[in-house]
Amino acid sequence: MSMTLSPTMLRVEALRQIRNPYTLAFTLGMPVAMYLLFGASMGYGDASAGNGNVKFYVMVSMAAYGTAVAMSSITSLAATEAKQGWGRQISMTPLTTAGYAMTKLATAVTFSAFAVLLVFVAGLATGAEATDAWRWWASAGIILGIGLMFGLYGLGVGLFFNSDTAAALASISMTFFAFFGNVFIPLDGVMLDIARFSPLYGFVALSRWPLTDGVLTTGQTDPLWGLALNTVAWLVIFSVLVAAGVKRSRSRR
Amino acid sequence: MSTAADTRTPTKADLPASDDAVALTGLRKHFGIGERTVKAVDGIDLRIGRGEVVALLGPNGAGKTTTLDMLLGLTDPSAGTVAVYGQKPLKAAKGGVIAGVLQTGGLLSDLTVRETVEVIASLHGGESLARVHEILERTELDRIARRRISKCSGGEQQRVKFALALVADPDILVLDEPTAGMDVTARRHFWDVMRADADAGRTIIFATHYLEEAEQFARRTVVMHRGVVVADAPTAQLRANLGGRTLAADLPADGGDDLVRRLGQTDGITEIRVDAGRVSLRALDSDAAASALLDAGAHDLEIAAPTLETAFTALTED
Repeated sequence: MSMTLSPTMLRVEALRQIRNPYTLAFTLGMPVAMYLLFGASMGYGDASAGNGNVKFYVMVSMAAYGTAVAMSSITSLAATEAKQGWGRQISMTPLTTAGYAMTKLATAVTFSAFAVLLVFVAGLATGAEATDAWRWWASAGIILGIGLMFGLYGLGVGLFFNSDTAAALASISMTFFAFFGNVFIPLDGVMLDIARFSPLYGFVALSRWPLTDGVLTTGQTDPLWGLALNTVAWLVIFSVLVAAGVKRSRSRR
Repeated sequence: MSTAADTRTPTKADLPASDDAVALTGLRKHFGIGERTVKAVDGIDLRIGRGEVVALLGPNGAGKTTTLDMLLGLTDPSAGTVAVYGQKPLKAAKGGVIAGVLQTGGLLSDLTVRETVEVIASLHGGESLARVHEILERTELDRIARRRISKCSGGEQQRVKFALALVADPDILVLDEPTAGMDVTARRHFWDVMRADADAGRTIIFATHYLEEAEQFARRTVVMHRGVVVADAPTAQLRANLGGRTLAADLPADGGDDLVRRLGQTDGITEIRVDAGRVSLRALDSDAAASALLDAGAHDLEIAAPTLETAFTALTED
């Protein structure tokens, strides 16, 4: 039972996501489309912003959104499957729960990386710019690293809600959080004050940090500790959601 | 097939010499707490030897599925123990010693038949993965290997689950109503495949509500009712002993009432009914009852062997 990951299972899991219209539309299609719409084709796209231009700003925002959606939708699917008959089928094989989680996590991270890659390639092709090459890598690294927390969110949603709608709920709620989290459109005033408490705010602002050093489109500056606090607080909330989901799915048995 | 089993996993090579493939001891499973407790399984002791084919028969809610779930390690018992060749059941399942066809759920609708079998086989290791082609052929899934599970009929999905149980080449096969959703032809074919397996020495334990499946296929039948075992015997014996035979004859014109009274006082004769001068009864010793009837001048005698259904009804009715 030394084997934890099965190449066959990884291949089939990847195929499933490619065949899934939800995954294609929300994780791969939508971020690129949003970037082209709000970044590349806008007159202000080439205006300078921090250590680069506005296109780079929009590109990073959309890549972060795509990652959050990929992580949460794939892990929520994993949770609902594990609770159903397939989980029983898997539990009769040498694959451990950790092995199952690793397989799903690997799939989710691969798709997140793919989503980031697509948006960044679109950015590269349409004139997104940063003053240094490392800022591209730094943004991508922050997106994929901190983006893992949305795997917990998806897991919690999947465990808590017992049907196939969990995956759709996870992605649609991400879109909602993106609108009210200063991701798609720059917010101001009260909306911005509210946005600071939403789950995508800290994550996306940190992803933009290599470009902005915390400076907002309004001219205000977010302190690093504030963004870190938002991220950690939501990480704790997602963990509680997962714990509650585990408890709830156990009591259903 | 046996060579693969000998070399693949240490768990299989180390099987103890014990003849008991499965040992259930004082097994109980209760759901809920307090007054609402449901005693799904309420004290079962059962030993099943290597190579036996056993039918688990019982009405809905008898505890069959819960028992089989515990046998596969999918549900923990409230009390008692389950041993599969002396091992914990889930360990035996993970080691490929025991495998089951589950009644509920089990498949991902967006996978193809081949992908489903390949994924589960790959988790059991390279040898199982190499066996996929052969198993798809044996379960006649090769022609629909590229079909999505969501496009498969209930019977086809059932065959896929059967294929999943076979990939690890288990010593013990547990089947929970395996032919549910299959048409008559598919059921017959399924049992032909199973018969070959049983002849090859695989231990088979199956739950069914088709009485004729137990009758035709299982050498031993365990009847469950309300969480306990109410009968456990060779299937043929269960039929003969518990059911008795049904006799019917036209009563003689003279002394008919007297004959009926006499029969009613005989041990082993039950369910005497007289309808329009014809008596019907159930007798454990059908020869004695028949000669008593004929000696008294009854005629047009009919003797019918019981079906398992009558035995089953007799055992499970209150």
